[in-house]
Amino acid sequence: MAVSSLIRSFGSLLLSSSHHVSQTSISPKPICLAWQFHAYREIGTSAVLSTSDPMWKCRIKYTTRPIGMKKTGGRDHTGRIRVHGIGGGHKQRYRMIDFRRMHLEEREEPKSFEEKVIQVRYDPCRSADIALVAGENRKRWIVATENMQTGDIIKTSNHIGRMAVLANEGDAYPVGALPVGTLVNNLESHPGKGAQYIRAAGTCGVLLRKVNGTAIIQLPSKRQMQVLETCMATVGRVSNIDHNKRIIGKAGRNRWLGKRPRSGLWHRKGGWAGRKIRPLPPMKSYVNLPTAATRG
Amino acid sequence: MLFLRRSAGRVPRWVPCGQQRRTKMHYGPKLPKGPLPRTPWTGPVIILSIAFKDGNFSYSMKQMGRVKQASWLTKTKVIDGLPLRILSIMTDTANQLENQDERVLNAISHARFWVSSEEEIMEETYCPVLLEDLLHLCRSMATKHPLLAKRMVAQDYRVSATWERESILLQIRGVNGKLLNAMNPLEPVASKDEILATENDVLETLYPIAPTIDLQEVNKYETKNDTGFRTGYPYPHPHTIYFAHGDKYHRMRPEQLRAKMLMFAFGNALAKARVLYGDEPKVLEKPIVVQSVATNGQSFQFVVFQLNTTDLDPSHGVKNLAWIDADQLLYEDARNRPEIRKKIVTIPAGGHGYQPVTFKKFLAFYLHGVV
Repeated sequence: MAVSSLIRSFGSLLLSSSHHVSQTSISPKPICLAWQFHAYREIGTSAVLSTSDPMWKCRIKYTTRPIGMKKTGGRDHTGRIRVHGIGGGHKQRYRMIDFRRMHLEEREEPKSFEEKVIQVRYDPCRSADIALVAGENRKRWIVATENMQTGDIIKTSNHIGRMAVLANEGDAYPVGALPVGTLVNNLESHPGKGAQYIRAAGTCGVLLRKVNGTAIIQLPSKRQMQVLETCMATVGRVSNIDHNKRIIGKAGRNRWLGKRPRSGLWHRKGGWAGRKIRPLPPMKSYVNLPTAATRG
Repeated sequence: MLFLRRSAGRVPRWVPCGQQRRTKMHYGPKLPKGPLPRTPWTGPVIILSIAFKDGNFSYSMKQMGRVKQASWLTKTKVIDGLPLRILSIMTDTANQLENQDERVLNAISHARFWVSSEEEIMEETYCPVLLEDLLHLCRSMATKHPLLAKRMVAQDYRVSATWERESILLQIRGVNGKLLNAMNPLEPVASKDEILATENDVLETLYPIAPTIDLQEVNKYETKNDTGFRTGYPYPHPHTIYFAHGDKYHRMRPEQLRAKMLMFAFGNALAKARVLYGDEPKVLEKPIVVQSVATNGQSFQFVVFQLNTTDLDPSHGVKNLAWIDADQLLYEDARNRPEIRKKIVTIPAGGHGYQPVTFKKFLAFYLHGVV
């Protein structure tokens, strides 16, 4: 008896540490296992909202089909309010965006490949438009650039040549391959991580200079960022450039977007109001350059 | 001492619960329904195959060029318009019904207005009714042509055909539309010279998209070629496949529908060719012709497919031929209530814009092989 209980306790340990299901029976309740999350992250899409029913985002396989989402109302997994002022709005569906342009499944990574734009459309989950691209046997959603149109052919390459490439808009290259002064978007902070910078509508970054295997890029906030030259970036400006010019018009339209009204209580204006003159934050570096201590 | 009582042949065993059951928490040993299936173990032969199943084109895309894709997969040269023989049957006044237009108009009215007492008749109701009515009109030509009586319509049959294209194993299977079978095969539509002339044609590709995009990838343990009918079936030759495509859940764009028609006409022809000429890839002595007609209750799509070769692996050599006549309206509009704008009737109630040519084509497809 004691031995069996010992085995069971070891089994429960195993369940938490390894992928394999041990002797303990799985409860029939849908549980999102950790490895499923891990696999999901590998797809390289952005993090999505947590809900009371976590099953909708437990998706291992990439799909271009829109996935039904549930509203969180700003609550986190414990049910407490994490973000104020969120709730209601039009029903939205999530389309899995592939932020890793060089991402390939079950194949060796070639130097470059081409894809065709099938559709450019609105996405409720982000300010920019998205484009459905197809190449070989795969279709995927990417963030559309400014002039991307149906039928365009876009190129993706991971080759850094001696000469800077003459890049067209919508093509994706490592930042080291691009000429200085190029407008870029969808920038990675680490090679192969997936784009996390410059994804909002109408934004673009500028490739300022390339030094010593790294590239320095000016972000839309005018802050500078240093990344390795193998980080992928898309050439051009993100689509939907008139996003900041739209007129909300009435309070109700913000409610359609899922924003709740602010508190009507009067607050005295503090230091946040008014013009501020402050220096730009220092350059953000994602490059682990060898320091003097390690060198010595 | 312990005695075990066994009921003969019925040993309780654990029935694997499916996903559906698991969610409903149905657990427990159950008696199996029948004797265990005994399949001979042949070893794990996994063939990577790409199946072209019905409804696989569900995700609608305008720019994908579905017919182009289907023509690559089937190694087919697509020609717009109908072949001369069909056109000659169409234009011959002897091949027309008495009071043809009136009877077709009655069929349209039956499908659109008289079939049920509901205010609005849905597409999935009137579309098959219209197809049946028109087929019924065609059948009434049997008095003139007695050979028409030697035909049979089959529904819910399963066709499966397997072929290789540029060393990709492809498979088409599933339930398709109604199949009109005949006792005699259709004569080849294109002459030998026309067939030989296809050697120089180059098939279009969808570059940079692979032609196998959106096909379902499956692991197959056996490859199957099956016409869906047993040997000795008295009506062995496929004549025309009819698709009544009015289901709102599986609605396709006309482009996708034409691709589906082309694929299934090809599948039926290939399965038949494998029965007649064996599995060896070769240029057929007598090409196999299968027609296909699809409707969404208003417009018709016509496809004539001629299988010239079963040597589908290389892209050069003799190609198959397909004639596609797209988007032929039978009538322009049929509605229960008139459309009134600013107290002026813009579109009157009832059907209008009847185009008699479409039914002539429909009838010519039916009479093909008899006249």
